[in-house]
Amino acid sequence: MFRLPVLLLPAVALVCAADVAGAADIELPPGPHRDLVYGQCRTCHDLQYLVDSAGITRDDWDAVLNDMRQYGLRIPPEQRADILDYLGTYLGPEPPPASEVAEAAPADGAAVYAEQCTACHQADGSGVPGQFPPLAGNPDLFLDRLFPVQVVLNGIEGPVEVAGTTYDSVMPPFDHLSDAAIAAVINHVRSSWGNEGQGVEPLTPADVASVREKPLTPEQVHARRAELQ
Amino acid sequence: MAKATGNIGVSRREFGLLAGAAGLSFGLMPGFAGRVLAQDAESAASVIQGKSGEMLIHNAKLGVMETPISLLRQHAHTPKEILFNRLHFPPEGSSAWQATTSAPGREDWVLRVDGLVQRPREVSLADLKAMAQEKRVAVMQCAGNGRSFYAAKQKVAGGQWKNGGMGNVEWEGVPLRAFLEAMKLGPSDQATWLTAGGWDQPPTPEGSDFAKSYRIDDAALDNAIIALKMNGAPIPAVHGGPVRLIIPGYYGNMNVKFLTTLLFDAAQSPSAYQSMGYRVPLNPVEPGEFGRNDYTLENSAPTYAHKIKSVIFSPLPEDNPKSGAVTVTGVAFNDGTSPITKVEVSTDGGATWAEADIAPPESPWAWYHWSAQGTLSSGTNVLMSRATDALGNTQPIDGLSRWNPRGYEWNGVEHLEVATA
Repeated sequence: MFRLPVLLLPAVALVCAADVAGAADIELPPGPHRDLVYGQCRTCHDLQYLVDSAGITRDDWDAVLNDMRQYGLRIPPEQRADILDYLGTYLGPEPPPASEVAEAAPADGAAVYAEQCTACHQADGSGVPGQFPPLAGNPDLFLDRLFPVQVVLNGIEGPVEVAGTTYDSVMPPFDHLSDAAIAAVINHVRSSWGNEGQGVEPLTPADVASVREKPLTPEQVHARRAELQ
Repeated sequence: MAKATGNIGVSRREFGLLAGAAGLSFGLMPGFAGRVLAQDAESAASVIQGKSGEMLIHNAKLGVMETPISLLRQHAHTPKEILFNRLHFPPEGSSAWQATTSAPGREDWVLRVDGLVQRPREVSLADLKAMAQEKRVAVMQCAGNGRSFYAAKQKVAGGQWKNGGMGNVEWEGVPLRAFLEAMKLGPSDQATWLTAGGWDQPPTPEGSDFAKSYRIDDAALDNAIIALKMNGAPIPAVHGGPVRLIIPGYYGNMNVKFLTTLLFDAAQSPSAYQSMGYRVPLNPVEPGEFGRNDYTLENSAPTYAHKIKSVIFSPLPEDNPKSGAVTVTGVAFNDGTSPITKVEVSTDGGATWAEADIAPPESPWAWYHWSAQGTLSSGTNVLMSRATDALGNTQPIDGLSRWNPRGYEWNGVEHLEVATA
């Protein structure tokens, strides 16, 4: 018999109750490569499709990933294999019992970026004009030392203008990432693609932990941006 | 027989009164009839501005949601606040204007008619408004409506739609054939397909654009309109305004939203939404033998015409009906090519059947209201309904016999479990 891991149930209930950020709060059962799913699948749809499809076979997930390539998913073969392993196992017909042990995210900023950020912001930080803002040369990175941490942890929703182009996308929260991973990826972005040399002190996991203690809605993060400008 | 569905042009308040009067015969529950839509619409409204908070969300990012039947049954024409929705790309970024039930402020809209024609045209929204308009009342239904029921055989990936991915909607616009004729396009003899394209774009450049293709000689296009209005008002942005192609009797995805192009072509669109998604196998298939990636243009067909279907509107489990005599009501519809002549209803899981009274529909493509008498035993009852049309098309007793890997076109005999209070 197929049973959803216990962890999934509150998340699904939350969607039904559906507060503003409900869709972004859908939680998948912990397991290896779950974070890769968070990083790659939320560009085009939220995770409710995955939760609602839970229980299909690994072969079906494989076929779904083939579909997704047609619908625009571009990921390296090893990432595809990892995602399939996760989906086929934890959202397959016989998922293992929910594990309390979260995987240790790599604290290598470039590696985190490749798994979590490229689907929207692109490997070279150039973004997609009109859809996803660039990170290369984006002054928001330096509005305030901790502002990017607020964005990554909580997401951001509301129109922003970057380099003369307006963006009105919704960035989901990436609070599934560890403090170390978030510090590392922001440090990486702040020192890549011409962003380097701004003299901002590198973030530490403790910095991220302090921001995590004060959760904001994506709209509040947008308001915070306006305050800082 | 009282008929609430024939009153085109009445306001919602007036309709509430009519529906109340009709409630006894058609189960438009008198207690619900005058009820205002939920005011504190936090959930769905935060996804699509203006949607009822009672909508069942399938994917918030894409604005995918279905209507609880308890809401759907209250209206002759499904209002924009509760009409199901499905977008293919997030209404974000440059598409953010689509995330509302308000009319889009897109007076600059242009429809391009192009392809294998001697004289391509660009037609403004103002030009379209100035042309003769016609109304079509038609069921709008997601091709995936009822997908969740296939899980009894094998679960199919995707939004797990129940019965609420449908609505009965009045559209108004320019008849397609007359429009194409008036444009004096001079189409080539090579042009055997018409492809409709929308303004919306995939969020990533690698994604497939959305397009739908029809045979130019498809008789369904004889009834199609280039719609500018829905339920008497400019088409809401999220429902495809300002211009949407409406092909009465065809599944939702065929009614292209945000219409910007009509292309005459020698072949159908290469869009993945035409060649891969929204298709059904031509022959019966079994799980494990035919998968999502096995579809070809030869062994499958697009989800064009509605398969005949019926849905029970009352009693619903939440009505807490008492045991004893019961009036079972609901709707039925098909693709409009022949009238629905029979609806059979069972209140005992198919052991015995009663023939329902059927009210005349507003149009061949609208839903038919029906009503039948039955008896509820104490405990759990299995209600069933089965529609048949004049051509003999009917709903399979076992809807799972039409299982398909993408979970489209569910039209099995309706089963609804209702426990007596």
